[in-house]
Amino acid sequence: MDTSSPAAFVNGALLRRYIGQKVRAVIQVIRSDIGSVIGKSTDDQQIVVKGSPNPPLTTYIEVIGIAETENTIRAEVWTNFGDSFDVQNYNELCKLANGEFRHLFI
Amino acid sequence: MMEVSLTAGAIGKIMNGEVTTEADMIPVLQVTDLKQIMAQQDPTRERFRMVLSDGTYLHQGMLGTDLNNLVKEGTLQPGSIVRLTRFVGDVIKGRRIVIVPQLEVLKTISDIIGHPVPGGKHNDQRGSDSGIKFNTTEQHGSGVRQVINIEPGRSNAAISPQVGGTGSSVPASTTPSTRAYSNPSSGNGVTRQDYARDPPTSYPHQPQPPPPMYANRGPVARNEVPPKIIPVNALSPYSGRWTIKARVTNKAALKQYSNPRGEGKVFNFDLLDADGGEIRVTCFSAVADQFYDQIVVGNLYLISRGSLRPAQKNFNHLRNDYEIMLDNASTIKQCYEEDAAIPRHQFHFRTIGDIESMENNSIVDVIGIVSSISPTVTITRKNGTATPKRSLQLKDMSGRSVEVTMWGDFCNTEGQRLQSLCDSGVFPVLAVKAGRISEFNGKTVSTIGSSQLFIDPDFVEAEKLKNWFEREGKSVPCISLSREFSGSGKVDVRKTISQIKDEKLGTSEKPDWITVSATILYLKFDNFCYTACPIMNGDRPCSKKVTDNGDGTWRCEKCDKSVDECDYRYILQLQIQDHTDLTWVTAFQEAGEEIMGISAKDLYYVKNEHKDEEKFEDIIRKVAFTKYNFKLKVKEETFSDEQRVKATVVKVDKLNYSADTRTMLGAMDKLRTRDANSLSINPEGSDYNADVVNTGIGSSGTRDPSSVQRRDFGLHAHQSGQSGNHYSGGGATTSCNVCGNSGHVSAKCPGATKPQEQGQYMGGSYRGTTGSYGGGLPRQHVGSY
Repeated sequence: MDTSSPAAFVNGALLRRYIGQKVRAVIQVIRSDIGSVIGKSTDDQQIVVKGSPNPPLTTYIEVIGIAETENTIRAEVWTNFGDSFDVQNYNELCKLANGEFRHLFI
Repeated sequence: MMEVSLTAGAIGKIMNGEVTTEADMIPVLQVTDLKQIMAQQDPTRERFRMVLSDGTYLHQGMLGTDLNNLVKEGTLQPGSIVRLTRFVGDVIKGRRIVIVPQLEVLKTISDIIGHPVPGGKHNDQRGSDSGIKFNTTEQHGSGVRQVINIEPGRSNAAISPQVGGTGSSVPASTTPSTRAYSNPSSGNGVTRQDYARDPPTSYPHQPQPPPPMYANRGPVARNEVPPKIIPVNALSPYSGRWTIKARVTNKAALKQYSNPRGEGKVFNFDLLDADGGEIRVTCFSAVADQFYDQIVVGNLYLISRGSLRPAQKNFNHLRNDYEIMLDNASTIKQCYEEDAAIPRHQFHFRTIGDIESMENNSIVDVIGIVSSISPTVTITRKNGTATPKRSLQLKDMSGRSVEVTMWGDFCNTEGQRLQSLCDSGVFPVLAVKAGRISEFNGKTVSTIGSSQLFIDPDFVEAEKLKNWFEREGKSVPCISLSREFSGSGKVDVRKTISQIKDEKLGTSEKPDWITVSATILYLKFDNFCYTACPIMNGDRPCSKKVTDNGDGTWRCEKCDKSVDECDYRYILQLQIQDHTDLTWVTAFQEAGEEIMGISAKDLYYVKNEHKDEEKFEDIIRKVAFTKYNFKLKVKEETFSDEQRVKATVVKVDKLNYSADTRTMLGAMDKLRTRDANSLSINPEGSDYNADVVNTGIGSSGTRDPSSVQRRDFGLHAHQSGQSGNHYSGGGATTSCNVCGNSGHVSAKCPGATKPQEQGQYMGGSYRGTTGSYGGGLPRQHVGSY
């Protein structure tokens, strides 16, 4: 994996700002197909994650990869985050990390 | 969505001449009809004739020619809601016309509001009404009675306009209940009720307010005899016909009720007159409908003809033995001129020191400085309902402080405002009217249904308090009448470790109980436990240190016994650290077990009996660098001439990251509001800034990063705080519009109020205290943010 650039914390709305760039997002898995996983971002937008995860997948996963379109990520790293996750807090984190406290992250 | 309502009763007032120009009132009306006519003077110019409605009555009007283009463009059309900023009501060729040289179109397209009917006019010809003649006899002296005979074929005018549903073709009847004329006292013995009054039962079926005005003006424009005003305190059931002039100090909401006799509604309002007399006025059902919209807190009214009955002391805490009940014969007339003799509110303040000696359940007015306020908590009552509750400490010059508890709506409205003020470092003055004294952990003052809270009021007492506070109050410790709730350890007081030293915690008489979120750095493992006496003392073991007798038994001095087997209890010395500082704390048995994950006895055995160094070290290593929420009891103790602040771990809780994060987000928001306030931006200005924010940012939930660099950081902090308040839930924001905290939305807000009011919340709560708008209109929402 290319670790030269840090991945930005994104939710559904922020994804479009990083098209072509590396992002990380926590997704709630809705459906998983061959080669892609359909999930819901922390702000309730539908996100498609391309790639093949290692089974099994828990309810919440974090994916790190390149944002292809405003609702697709081509993931390189998949991490299981378990079945319970505080979505609101993560969403707030995304907003803060890209807004007020951007300088602390990227 | 704009919420617009028409000025109730405006047409009526124009019709009877009470209102002639915009100096009297600036009404909001609806244009129900527009017709182009040929101007007689100037045949080349068009003139537009319009029909104006206030939801109840129609009135002829002429549009000033300057405004013709509004009609041509389509901005002004039938159905449009307009505000008459300049107008003159006049009689032209025997007809009453309103000439409007200037108006403001509030809403272009709208359905016709209400079922307005033409206000009956002298010799007026209006559409389908032609041919009706009013035959009246008047008694001018009292302006009371009207006899109306209408030509056959029309319904009797005694019946109110809605009968038969014939809508606008039925002439407005002249129900004798007069409101403009408030002076029954001019010796006219005629009772009014007898005349063609609608049976009250018909009222509830008709949503429209009863017609207020006479049909016939004719030569009598206004009753000239001034009413004789008597002081409120002089009212009694034997008063006969009376008139009072007073200001409304409080208005309760219109409540529906249902009792064995049927359903109804009721509302009440309180009056204060120039002599300081106070009295409550209650209106039921039809009368409530009639007057509810008219009454505005802060306005002056002339009220006459109501009945007096003994005051219900349970609900009515005003100093009057009676209360007024209005009926159909009552009149309320607004006084547009100010009367400085009548104060806005009247208080009978007691000092907090007095409260100590007052009886429980007595009602009191009190004023003081808010020294601290805590967030709203939800209390579940015994009957299962959950209510919000918020408490604060109030201090005054008597050197005493008391806990003031707010219930229900007060938590969110005044409570939230006080919280913001306190967070920004200000100590506001709070005046409480009609608070109840109760005993709960000492004396407290609670709000009740009829309480009123005033923040930073404009009273002499408030000034005095502020000055006193600046000079001495801040530093002088106040003796609290209410026992500090921290004694029971229920409330989680979050502190950082550096605050223990900075705030000199533990140095006062009582120990301080705080919670810190910290990591264990180091654990002294030499004496991690002691030999303890196991003898049960009630339901707790004695736990005193036992001494070794040498022969395998252990002696306890306290119990005066020897035991074979002793207990081992933890006495862990830990060094803990958070992001601010580090400190040593001691953890005893329960906390120790939680931290170590193994009982003291077992650990002792591992080390000493089994001498399993490796395992021991393993255990210790696991413990190091674990993070917990420590509940500490901090107290200063004397050790042979030396004062030392010692902290004991009372409870250890694993960190709940989710909850902690929320708390932190809330704290960040608070910090932001404090910064925002310290930039001295006033609340009205926040609306302006919201517009700036909205245009600059647009899409949901995030801030344009480029804008961060452009704008000054401090200002941005303000905007981000304020924009949280003004977003109307669009997009993906999860900052709560109501309390400004993020992490939840307004629907789940612990301090939730009605969602529609959000946008107006900040502005509304400040403006609300100023009483009437210009002209004293009963209800005028024109646009929202």
